[in-house]
Amino acid sequence: MNLALVAVVLAIGAGGVIAVSTREAAAAVIGLAVCLVAASLAADPLPSAAVLGVRVVAALLAAALIRWAAAERAHQPSPLGWPGEALLATAGAVAGAGIAAALATSGPSFGGIGGGGTDGPVVAGGVGTSMGLLLAAGTMLLVLGTAAVLHPRPGLRRAIGLVLVTQAVLLLRVGLAGPATGLEEITRAALLVAAAASASALARAITTADGPEALE
Amino acid sequence: MTLLALIVVALATGFATMLVGDRPRRISLLIGLAGSLIVLVIALALPDEESVAIGDIGIVVTPVVRAMTVAWSATVAVLGLIELGVAGRPTVVGPSLLGLAVAAMALATRDAASSVAALAAGSVAGVVIPGLHGWLEGPTTGRLATTQRCALAVLGSALIALIAIAWAASPVGPLGSDIGFDPTPPSQVATGLALLAVVVAIAVRCGLIPLHIWAARFMEGVSPLAIPAAFAWGSAAFVLAVLDWSQVALTPDAVGGPERLLIISLGLVSVVLGGLAAMFHDDIEHVLGYSILADAGVAVLAFASLEPAAAAAARNWLVASATVKTAFAAWCGVVRATYGGHRLADLGGWARHAPLLGAAFGGILIAAIGLPGMALFDARSGLISGSMPGFGSILAVLVTAMPAVYLGRIALAGVAPISAAVGGGPSGRPKRTRGEAAGWSGVPLRQALLAFPEEARANRAPLMALGVLALAIMALATAIGGAGG
Repeated sequence: MNLALVAVVLAIGAGGVIAVSTREAAAAVIGLAVCLVAASLAADPLPSAAVLGVRVVAALLAAALIRWAAAERAHQPSPLGWPGEALLATAGAVAGAGIAAALATSGPSFGGIGGGGTDGPVVAGGVGTSMGLLLAAGTMLLVLGTAAVLHPRPGLRRAIGLVLVTQAVLLLRVGLAGPATGLEEITRAALLVAAAASASALARAITTADGPEALE
Repeated sequence: MTLLALIVVALATGFATMLVGDRPRRISLLIGLAGSLIVLVIALALPDEESVAIGDIGIVVTPVVRAMTVAWSATVAVLGLIELGVAGRPTVVGPSLLGLAVAAMALATRDAASSVAALAAGSVAGVVIPGLHGWLEGPTTGRLATTQRCALAVLGSALIALIAIAWAASPVGPLGSDIGFDPTPPSQVATGLALLAVVVAIAVRCGLIPLHIWAARFMEGVSPLAIPAAFAWGSAAFVLAVLDWSQVALTPDAVGGPERLLIISLGLVSVVLGGLAAMFHDDIEHVLGYSILADAGVAVLAFASLEPAAAAAARNWLVASATVKTAFAAWCGVVRATYGGHRLADLGGWARHAPLLGAAFGGILIAAIGLPGMALFDARSGLISGSMPGFGSILAVLVTAMPAVYLGRIALAGVAPISAAVGGGPSGRPKRTRGEAAGWSGVPLRQALLAFPEEARANRAPLMALGVLALAIMALATAIGGAGG
């Protein structure tokens, strides 16, 4: 087990929980930034400096765009509170680890490695591997983000949720299929920034009306 | 390198147009127009086949890439000209250029995950910017929520497709053993599920029935000129990218009986119900929206076989139908800007009042229905009858008749007695102001140039109709020639 990757996954989770649960908009954005930057480091081995640069810049840009949306209004805190969100994140991570374990032990017809796929490549699967940790991080963010996107009132919480869901899928993609090509790294970064830009533009548009109540 | 130049110019001018926005509107539109014209010139200069490798990135121009970029860039240029004549915030050219750039890149690369991610990143602006501008011009309870759903649909479809592509490419996925297709039942189930997942992604992206509510609401609240970039072209590029991946990664063997049945059902529901909705709606923007949805239903039938013939037909169909629907959207936009109405009851005699617009609509009608031997007609027949041998050929005739009915109703309204709304609108016939009084031949060049803006303003309606006519001719050309699929 790669302990550095475990620390990165914990940072992703902590940042995600803070982003969706705090009452302070500024703290939420800091939590999101921590989560996204940590997610850009979630790889074993680490990618080249150029790829890492693209990832970190995209993460910070996405956080800055959400900060722009948060400038004029208060954050919408989680109705569950941080303990509830943390439990939700843990459940998501366990589910991801479970998927990784199931894949590792599935039969050869699914290409599973633990079940003894004879012609397939040898792949490090299972809970403690990098694939398992990345899948756990991805499902953790997916659960946190989906709950935030489903928030009944539009605003900052939904915006943060959309960014978290996007980042979750990007993590799941790397967890399942391995490192991305150079072009894919650029398009993944563009997708994250585009999700943050559209989410923040939509969240900010509410300020032109009477507030979220106008949408009820 | 030609395609790279096109992508760079389209990205730069698209971003610049969106950043300037309406501060001031004229500058934004001029940047967009200049960009779209440069992009069109570059697209026309594209060779039929070209390949460039930049590091580990391979960019390959194929006839389909060329056909799509030429048709899309030409329509963007004309839509830009029409947008100059239509009041309101600029929402068309910027997102269209951005969408064109990412579509060109996505279709020219062989990496499906990159293509899907790029398409989502580039095309989300096509729904958010027009949707937000609609909201800012008149906040209503549902409009912002609709725009949020639109953004979620565009991004969500890409995220679903990314997961499916990653699953198929995974060393622990159904194709991860690098030994080709494994015919044992569990693997067939897995590849079938991957196929269904990407079809669901397409259904979300295209707004196929029953996932169409967000698309229908979106089309109600934005300029009709913004619809092609968001739906017709954006969806077409997404379907093309996913189709290419499905053919290579999943192969036709992935389509089992249950998958085929589900895909055909999904496509047919959209074709039939979308066509019927277009036939019965009186609102021309609804007719446009449901007809685009029905077209997407035809395209999705290609996934019911994944055979090369079906994929080739889908390529022709997607490019040709997107061009036709762009011309129809331009017609809707010009009619709305000229007469203010968008219900057939208010548009009586529109063709008699504006003969140029009527001629353009005639071209759109022929291109949308198609004639045997035309690429669009053959592609539609091939997709429907190919997915349903026997019954499909009868259904293909019925589906062909649908545009004849819903566009025919609009044509009939055009030759009806002129309504009050149409009679009160600006004339669709050309007129001259200062130039005619002085006699154009005797006017110095400087004076003629100075008089041009006034002449253009006085002839706004016929000039916009001329733009629609150009798009109709383009639609006819694409319907005849297809995309070299």
